[in-house]
Amino acid sequence: MGTAPAQLFPEYLVDTFGIDSVLGDVVASLIGAALVANIILAFSGVAGPWAKRKITAAFTDRIAVDRIGPYGLLIIPAAAVQLLAKELIVPEGVDRPTWDIAPILLPASAMLGFSVIPMGHIGPLNLHLADPEVGLALVFAFASIASVSLVMAGYASSNKYSLLGGLRAVAQNLAYEIPLIVTAMSVVIFAGTLQISGVVGAQTETLVTIAGISIPAWFAFVNPFAFVLFLTANMAEIGRNPFDIPEAPTEIVGGYQTEYSSAYFVLFYLGEFVHIFLGGAILSVVFLGGASGPGPESISFIWFVVKVWGFFLFTQWARAAIPRVRIDQLIEIGWKGMLVLSFANLVLTAVIVGVIA
Amino acid sequence: MSLERPDSVDDAAVERTPDELEALLGDLVVDRDDHLNAPGFVIRPDTVQETLSILKEQAGYDHLSVVSAQEYENRYESIYHLKKFDDPTQEVSIVVPADKDNPVSESAEPVFRTADWHEREAYDLIGVEYDDHPDLRRILLPETWQGHPLSMDYDKDRPQIATLPEHANPLQEHHKDAESDTMFLNIGPHHPATHGVLHLKTVLDGEQVVDVEPDIGYLHRSEEQMAQSGTYRHQIMPYPDRWDYISAGLLNEWAYARAAEDLADIEVPEYAQVIRTMGAEMCRIAAHMLALATFALDINGDFTATFMYAINDRERVQNLLEDLTGQRLMFNYFRLGGVVWDLPEPRDEFFSKTRDFLDHLPESVEEYHNLITSNEIFQMRTIDTGILPPEVAKNYGATGPVARGSGVDYDLRRDDPYGYYDELDWDVITEDGCDNFSRLLVRMREVEESAKIIEQCVDLLEDWPEDERNIQANVPRTLRPDDDTEIYRAVEAAKGELGIYIRADGTDKPARFKIRSPCFSNLQTLPEMANGEYIPDVVAALGSLDIVLGEVDR
Amino acid sequence: MIGLMKSMATTMKHALDGTTFTVEYPEDAPEVSPRFRGVHKFSQERCIWCRQCENVCPNDTIQIVQDDQRNGEQYNLHIGQCIYCRLCEEVCPVDAILLTQNFEFTADTKDDFVFNKEQLKNVPWYKGIDPLESRNPDRGAWIGEGDGEVDYQ
Repeated sequence: MGTAPAQLFPEYLVDTFGIDSVLGDVVASLIGAALVANIILAFSGVAGPWAKRKITAAFTDRIAVDRIGPYGLLIIPAAAVQLLAKELIVPEGVDRPTWDIAPILLPASAMLGFSVIPMGHIGPLNLHLADPEVGLALVFAFASIASVSLVMAGYASSNKYSLLGGLRAVAQNLAYEIPLIVTAMSVVIFAGTLQISGVVGAQTETLVTIAGISIPAWFAFVNPFAFVLFLTANMAEIGRNPFDIPEAPTEIVGGYQTEYSSAYFVLFYLGEFVHIFLGGAILSVVFLGGASGPGPESISFIWFVVKVWGFFLFTQWARAAIPRVRIDQLIEIGWKGMLVLSFANLVLTAVIVGVIA
Repeated sequence: MSLERPDSVDDAAVERTPDELEALLGDLVVDRDDHLNAPGFVIRPDTVQETLSILKEQAGYDHLSVVSAQEYENRYESIYHLKKFDDPTQEVSIVVPADKDNPVSESAEPVFRTADWHEREAYDLIGVEYDDHPDLRRILLPETWQGHPLSMDYDKDRPQIATLPEHANPLQEHHKDAESDTMFLNIGPHHPATHGVLHLKTVLDGEQVVDVEPDIGYLHRSEEQMAQSGTYRHQIMPYPDRWDYISAGLLNEWAYARAAEDLADIEVPEYAQVIRTMGAEMCRIAAHMLALATFALDINGDFTATFMYAINDRERVQNLLEDLTGQRLMFNYFRLGGVVWDLPEPRDEFFSKTRDFLDHLPESVEEYHNLITSNEIFQMRTIDTGILPPEVAKNYGATGPVARGSGVDYDLRRDDPYGYYDELDWDVITEDGCDNFSRLLVRMREVEESAKIIEQCVDLLEDWPEDERNIQANVPRTLRPDDDTEIYRAVEAAKGELGIYIRADGTDKPARFKIRSPCFSNLQTLPEMANGEYIPDVVAALGSLDIVLGEVDR
Repeated sequence: MIGLMKSMATTMKHALDGTTFTVEYPEDAPEVSPRFRGVHKFSQERCIWCRQCENVCPNDTIQIVQDDQRNGEQYNLHIGQCIYCRLCEEVCPVDAILLTQNFEFTADTKDDFVFNKEQLKNVPWYKGIDPLESRNPDRGAWIGEGDGEVDYQ
């Protein structure tokens, strides 16, 4: 497999500062985690109050935020202050502390997922916190904690719309988690490992060379069918159009987040964006060669940003163009369509890999 | 009370003469009380069902337009305005007097399903009680309201203070029913998909709707009373704009103009009729664009681009209307006997702007087809959901795109011509799908027909000789139609048959002004469409009905 | 799938063509039609206190106070209650009340919208346009020919 796995970020810190002890490991890991978390939070901060509005506006012939700061960018701190300054309304009859834990769980679970995502290099730094052997399984496990959070919020809010939203979230996640993971399994068969650096490493080889441009063996090119399947399931997993039915504002008002305000709402809102970025990160790891791209490895963080934001853009594009499916139709697509197709894909891949190898 | 007008307006088209109808009804007819638009038969209050079923089954009067009730010095009266879906010029009015002290009259609900809400409204506002009515409750006013606002002895100074027991939440005790597996859900009055302040009392079994009951009246302003306290000549005209306020203003104004002009025998100059026709169709485009926009919003979810694109197109046509009328929503452009202004100067500029809009329109419509109607997910969501069979639609008195989406070929512009429509070349659009998708398609195709009409009007107006541009008939400053003349006239508004019933009492203000709102009747069909479907389908069906609460509640 | 692609292509086309339909209000103030009906302007010099506007007003927005000689003392108009139907302008025989194109008005309380004759006189023209010009041609239908130049201030 390609190049040897680069040194992980905490190990780099330990080596550089010579703090090779248990305490040193902990400190280095915490520093690494703080850095990665802040990068992701910065992404979400830009995406939520600003980029999403600008992108939606571009699709709908509008201008959107442009009042404060260059290109309206200062709306980000303004929106943060505004949202946090609002009163936190705790409705009567909510089930605490479940009601309080749910909004923390959503961004936390998505954030945890980034612990095993290789985010590319900035100069000598390899932004990759941990690389366990079951990394891929781990990241899916983290990502699916989110649906627990949605159920908790829906159940604890003591609101029928919230309850419907929570129930929809479970049904949707059950229907899409399996095709998602089964499709990812086909990639694992190619790569022969669950370790994320291994999966990424397997995609660095050159697939074909056309007119001097070598096309890497990204699994998106190797198996575009699986890529489309994964993309669709991923959209459902993170609950974006056309699968935003746990929220569905025009049907069930806001679903699980109906009763949340102020800081708790911000946490949900933030959590959704972190989740979108995690979805983008998983997609890039599994199908788009991780953080790799043209140019030296030391700038590969840029490619990671491009891929993740590209996925974000795609979700917003779908949001502008594609109608929402109905809950029963979604379940039908999930169980009768995607599940069958993903298993077919898995079997086919296994056979092909078995025959070739 | 007897007003014999042998030269009744529509006699020519009537298959059965009034006398034949009287013979058909036989002993049921107590007296005659003809209206300007139709022969009127007075019947006893306990023979309503019998009379109406004879007329419905034997004479083909299958459309109960409206029930208008009123109070006289010596009696109450309910009038059932009947029409035929095949030929709405054949009309008949059934006048049912009720006792002053004990105003009870038999309900027409078993014969015409639509009478349910109309009679509830009559009960609510006037105070007539209907025997045999399945659910005689207040409909527009709160349950705790004291008195009937349009009755003669109504004390408007009486404070409407509800004591605590009456104010108690009527749903409280039903909150938890250990026996049932269903869930009660209030959709609205503040909900993103109710298009205003509408309250749907919904009973859910999981995600499926077992029962839905619209609860209306949150936007009730007693527009009828406002009209009754305004003068015919000037003061009523600004208000129709505020019934269906979603830019359908000119269509609404036409409803009042048509009724009042026929009542006062005013002839509108042809030039003004062409301008009216053009303006009205612009309004129809604007209204249908908004219907399309919000329907896309309901199906796609917020932030859909379709919404914004349709609003763009609506803005364009509103700019034209602003140039023409001086206002973007509340036009107040029609006057009795014509319109207030000629086309804006320079005329050429207005014509070229209008033509630019019309040229741009096919491209836009194509875009909407790309965006929504050809979209597989959109089709999945809308086709075969919210089914409204034609017979049910007729029974509920549904009109407009809702009826035409169920294959009911009924359009007053063609069937009961007014304005300049009968001189122009255009088609009535019907779709046979009876579902949400058909209703959307009807609206989209009607936009194209409206564009055809506007284009022909522009051609006509461009070539109109300069010295014949008469925008208004000579109408006296004060209008006093003859005492005890009654008329019901309807036009095809954006949402369907918008009718006005006026009774004159010899003063310059109407004694009774009744609005037949198409949305009111259309909304009544919602349970038929939504029961048994999923929550998203209720939202879609509601969107496809395209109601405006200002017109439902008036 | 083709339908989905078409939808996405259509929105992307709009995103890429870079045109916007909205404007940066208030820097980019919209053009308003000459006929547009906004806040009223009143000229005491022209008014003959015939009270026709008060009578025709559909919702009693105009209030006129006269002394016992029928000389006008007050002319009050609630621009927040007004429905902008323009009937007052239409019946006025001397063009003493006119609806400008000015649609921009704000206040802290509803009461601030009760304009007296001084406030009504000081209502600015929108972009300096006197809308009488564009409306004049049709005024004959109502009041006969106006009498030439009008000075509202």
